[in-house]
Amino acid sequence: MGIRVNPDIYSLVLSGLQTNSQQENQALQQVSTGQKLNSISDDPAAAASIVTLRMESSSDTQYLQNITTLTGSLQTAGSALSSVVEALTSAQTLGVEGATATTNTENRQALAQEVQGLQQQILGLANATYNGQYLFSGTATTTQPYVADASAASGVTYNGNENTNSVEISDGQAMPTSLPGSQLFSNSTTNVFQSLQDLYTALTNNGDVASATTEVQNALNYVSTQQTFYGNSVDRLNNAQTFLTQEQTQLTQTESSALDVDMAKAITDLSQGVTTQQALLAAGAKISQLNLFSYLPSS
Amino acid sequence: MSSLFGTMSVALRSLLAQQGAMGVTANNIANANTPGYSREVAIMEESPPTLMGNTMVGTGVTMEKVESVRDNILNLRIDQETSQQSSLGSYLTSMNQVQALFNETQGAGLQTDLSNFFNSFQSLTTDPTSSSLRQATITAGQDLAGAFSQTSQNLATIQQGLDQSVVQTVQQVNQLTAQVADLNQQIQTVSNAGQNPGSLEDQRDQVLKTLSGLIDTAVVYSDDGTATVTTTNGTLLASGNQSDALTTQLDSATGMNQVLAQGTDITSTIAGGQLQGFINARDEGIPSAQTSLDNLAASLISAVNQQQNAGYDMTGTTGAKGADFFTPFTPSVAGSNAGAAAAMAVAITDPDQIAASSDGTKGDNGNATALAGLQDKAIVSGQTAGSYYSNLIDQVGNTVSNSTSEQEAIGLVLQQLTNQQSAVSGVSLDEEATNLIGYQRAYEAAARVISTVDELVSTTINMFTPSS
Repeated sequence: MGIRVNPDIYSLVLSGLQTNSQQENQALQQVSTGQKLNSISDDPAAAASIVTLRMESSSDTQYLQNITTLTGSLQTAGSALSSVVEALTSAQTLGVEGATATTNTENRQALAQEVQGLQQQILGLANATYNGQYLFSGTATTTQPYVADASAASGVTYNGNENTNSVEISDGQAMPTSLPGSQLFSNSTTNVFQSLQDLYTALTNNGDVASATTEVQNALNYVSTQQTFYGNSVDRLNNAQTFLTQEQTQLTQTESSALDVDMAKAITDLSQGVTTQQALLAAGAKISQLNLFSYLPSS
Repeated sequence: MSSLFGTMSVALRSLLAQQGAMGVTANNIANANTPGYSREVAIMEESPPTLMGNTMVGTGVTMEKVESVRDNILNLRIDQETSQQSSLGSYLTSMNQVQALFNETQGAGLQTDLSNFFNSFQSLTTDPTSSSLRQATITAGQDLAGAFSQTSQNLATIQQGLDQSVVQTVQQVNQLTAQVADLNQQIQTVSNAGQNPGSLEDQRDQVLKTLSGLIDTAVVYSDDGTATVTTTNGTLLASGNQSDALTTQLDSATGMNQVLAQGTDITSTIAGGQLQGFINARDEGIPSAQTSLDNLAASLISAVNQQQNAGYDMTGTTGAKGADFFTPFTPSVAGSNAGAAAAMAVAITDPDQIAASSDGTKGDNGNATALAGLQDKAIVSGQTAGSYYSNLIDQVGNTVSNSTSEQEAIGLVLQQLTNQQSAVSGVSLDEEATNLIGYQRAYEAAARVISTVDELVSTTINMFTPSS
């Protein structure tokens, strides 16, 4: 006699069916959710990396939102500054006209009125806002930066500060949101408001209009150079936006490869499971019909 | 020389023996599908011969006894593996509930709330005086605190449930050890009467198997047929007709039940069965996740508060030093963060109280930038909040996946052992059919012997009938 074998073949078929149906269930879950990871224990390292990837991706979404807000504010500031440059150009033209010998006193008075109008316009532009926040008052965005002040030599008082806010536009890359008016409209040698005030005074009093015009010219040149900050900033924002969008695509792809199922493989697994199940059932049905009693005479 | 009547009695013994054996076969066939049934064999023996003159003459056959075919060593190994498998099974059931709380693959967990919280500060840097952005920051903080607190409470609820399971399992263990003691006594009685206690032993095997699913067991069989059951670490559970009940007692320090044997705490010595699984999940798996969660919460609370205190809010005309953003966590035990996650809450209610400014200027965003920057700072155990949390995910996931692999491996071993056990003790219908034919033929032959002897006797009697 050889070794006695397990006569309970049902139990073998049953455990085979159970193992198989576990695999089938897993494949079915993968197909129905489209994910190969359905709980963190399916692949703990991948699940942990998904957390990191999603945090990065979420930060990128926030940076992109920061960029959108910042672009709006920088463009508003930039166009305000362009208008200042235009107004200064007009003032300079008026000064040149006022400096010529043919212009009489009456005409100079008229030109002075026009210069005063431009002064008002530039004051308005220097107090420009975005979302209710003053753009040119440094970090004191709730304080109106320039107030008309007859007692001041330049005709205005600056109430802002010298500081700038910065906003992050990608990991570790911060960008100033604006420049303070004290830096944009004046430096140690030139001052927009002073030059306009001087031109107005010269025209009104028949004074040295030519040198006042030169002063305006200098102010114009200075503001024009400051303008480049806004142009450059918008360029940097566009670059950062492109970079972030690419990085997000990359992160999404990485996440997808960690999380999403290879559909072809999952479906193959599923149909293999079904085939195995059918084979096991067929085998079980065949085996169970056979035993010696079947062959004994019934009478 | 044997007599005719002697021959007849030999044949009669054979009839009885074959009948008895057929009874055993019938019982085997009837129990072919009974779980835990060990097949029985009829042990036939030659009857003691008698001396007739100078010759020893056989007196036929007797069915000496009925024996159950079982391998106690195999049964013990099956019980041990069952014990390990049940332990892992109950541990996994519990830890699966835990990992569902952190199932980031399905969007559950803290990552979204963590990101939203830091992003709300990032957003605030673009417009630090905006009351809607400030309100959004408070809301994000409340969501984050709520998520921490809810997760922590859910862990505690699972832990409480496990504690109840420990108490219930101990009660089940006691019922089973009482049954073992009861069966021990019956087996001893039957054995003493010289009968086969096979079906009682089958019952006891089943009880021991169920018991090993609840707690780790070691069984020693005595010559009188009784089984002595201890845990693998030697705590006596049942011996002879006595069982030693385990008890449970609430430990006021942990709020959890200890398992006691004769007044001694044996909680940590339990080495198998679902009782061990429940205890492991209750005392190790869940506390480990809870501790990480508390550490993360405590670090976030203190880092955010510290940065908030360094800046200026928007209250009053000049702004004031920032007040605590989260309710500060006060440890109940020095150096422990236990309870930090459960108690996490936002302390400020006025959006103006967020300290976005670093110098008091309304509109300055320096401190908001620093608050947002906490996302990339190593604020907890030398790691950022994000990587600490991702390690927590890895840790919880690994606990479950390692136990799952281990359980699968033990499942294979157990299947192999059960297969072996079935090969030894299982009923084979082919074998029973063969035996049945053998016994039937032997019965027919013995009956033929009787009728032949009958004919001979009648021939002999007819010798004395006067002829007509």
